[in-house]
Amino acid sequence: MTDVRVSMDPGNLPQLPRPATEPWRAVNKSKSVKLAISAFAPALVAAAVTLLLALDPAIGVVLVYLPIQILTSVFIGRSLYGKKGQGDALLVVFTAFFSLLVGGLLLSVILSVITMGLRAMSWQFISQNNIYITPTTSLDYGGVGHAILGTVIIVGLTTLLTVPLGILVSVYLTETRSKMRNVVRTLVQAMSGLPSVVAGLFIYSAMIVGLHIGYGGWLGSLALLPLMLPTVSRVAEEALRLVPQDLRNGALALGAPAYRAFLQVTLPAARSGLVTALILGIARVIGETAPLILTVNSANGTNLDPSKPMAALPTYIFQFIANVYDSSVQRAWGAALMVLILVAVLFTAARLVSRDKRAAKRK
Amino acid sequence: MTVENPHLRAKDVNVWFGERHVLRDVNLTFPANQVTALIGPSGCGKSTFLRTLNRMHELIPSAGFAGEVLLDGSDIYAPEVDPGNVRLNIGMVFQKPNPFPTMSIKENVLSGLKLSGRKSSNAEELVETSLRRASIWNEVKDRLNDPALSLSGGQQQRLCIARSLAMNPEVLLMDEPCSALDPGSTRRVEETILELSPEMTIVIVTHNMQQAQRISDQTAFFLAEDGNPGRVVEFGTTDQVFNQPIDPRTNDYVNGHFG
Repeated sequence: MTDVRVSMDPGNLPQLPRPATEPWRAVNKSKSVKLAISAFAPALVAAAVTLLLALDPAIGVVLVYLPIQILTSVFIGRSLYGKKGQGDALLVVFTAFFSLLVGGLLLSVILSVITMGLRAMSWQFISQNNIYITPTTSLDYGGVGHAILGTVIIVGLTTLLTVPLGILVSVYLTETRSKMRNVVRTLVQAMSGLPSVVAGLFIYSAMIVGLHIGYGGWLGSLALLPLMLPTVSRVAEEALRLVPQDLRNGALALGAPAYRAFLQVTLPAARSGLVTALILGIARVIGETAPLILTVNSANGTNLDPSKPMAALPTYIFQFIANVYDSSVQRAWGAALMVLILVAVLFTAARLVSRDKRAAKRK
Repeated sequence: MTVENPHLRAKDVNVWFGERHVLRDVNLTFPANQVTALIGPSGCGKSTFLRTLNRMHELIPSAGFAGEVLLDGSDIYAPEVDPGNVRLNIGMVFQKPNPFPTMSIKENVLSGLKLSGRKSSNAEELVETSLRRASIWNEVKDRLNDPALSLSGGQQQRLCIARSLAMNPEVLLMDEPCSALDPGSTRRVEETILELSPEMTIVIVTHNMQQAQRISDQTAFFLAEDGNPGRVVEFGTTDQVFNQPIDPRTNDYVNGHFG
């Protein structure tokens, strides 16, 4: 390279080694070739070896592909960027590998629920209930309609009870200066570690054994409450904390009492975060099975009265997956898909309802 | 210095944050319908002092206060006084524009009424006069229902001024209202202040010496030396403080020798 160190006298400006006709690039041609090799070659080689030796794919990935990929990336990383590149390549390989692994597992769970569930899915499966259905009845009869309604009622009741309570807790934690805040926060955190079966057992022993109240949907809602509350209050607390103090001060400086400042300024500003709290809370409890088995029991017919035993999707799955008959297992898969669909529908609805009306109007 | 027609008066104001004494024995008088500038280096307590004038100070946890603040002769810290009512009479504009993000321009102007639980008989008119007084009416009259956040920073600040004016306060406190604004918006806000001053007592904290000279009638210079609590070093007409300061430290500060 030519020496470009030139004194900065005017009229003696440094000459560039060559005219800068092209913009500078972090990745030039030879670099991109090397990067492409490190990205694809190990996979191709590993695939070939695995096929030739007829290895198990999992073994091929872990014992053949991963070592080759690490060696190639480290070698190329070192040749491109020196010692730092070596460590960098190692980290990139590991993070990419494990995120793909986790993402793949998640995808496989969802895909198997969808593919298996679709075999049972039909309008009749969604709309009918479980009366006269035995584990061997063909999939042309019966469905989960009663369980969908049961889940919606039980979880809906839980939501009605928990969301106001959770938001009140989060208001206490963010908007007051009480000395008890840390105690409350710790209690709520401890609550989130409560095993769901214990919540169910508590309601079972207190209400059903203790007070001789019969199984019923509302007892299930009570059992789900302590499971949903920590999620709702924690997310709502974060949402309220994100509202800038400036806004609260602005409202108070206009002469507002604290409760009006909260209701008219802080709460609307935190709205989308509070909807997230609602959604995550529902997602937390919609699949809970153990508390419902202990407190709601189950029903084969459609029951809209929450004081009586009722069906719910998780307990329906539990009931049918225990049987070995094909049609039973397929019903369970169908119900599992139904839970996913229900969650998706609820989330979309919540997002649509909570969308900023003003932002929508502007379009 | 003696002031005729005192409107707002701070008597022996002392302020603590926890154990830390941050303001000592501040005595200032704000005459009616004049602009008073509070100047001084960062951390000397002038913003803190401003916040004691409408009881925003006490919202900070660990804040302590002693002294009196008299509005038309009655102490706003008297036990029977509701801080909400104090803030209705003594409005405040903050350093960073803080329009309410979920409200439209119009709703922002009317937010003070809603927040203090009042009704306005002619809301439309109030919106227009408030926005006119804050000299932003012409820019927003065709989009009063747009979200407040669609405005530029300088417009947002003038909207916040309009929001305060809609409550028709007797005193307006401004905490470095132009520090987040570009020169053009700063000029507009200064013009607004000058237009308001014949009908309103204004107290403004500023770090900008030129701004203090352009808009204020009197100036107070605050200083906190070597970990001591802040106090007022000099208080007088703006002309005096800037051109014939009595204290050498004032002279150093207004001429940019320190701070």
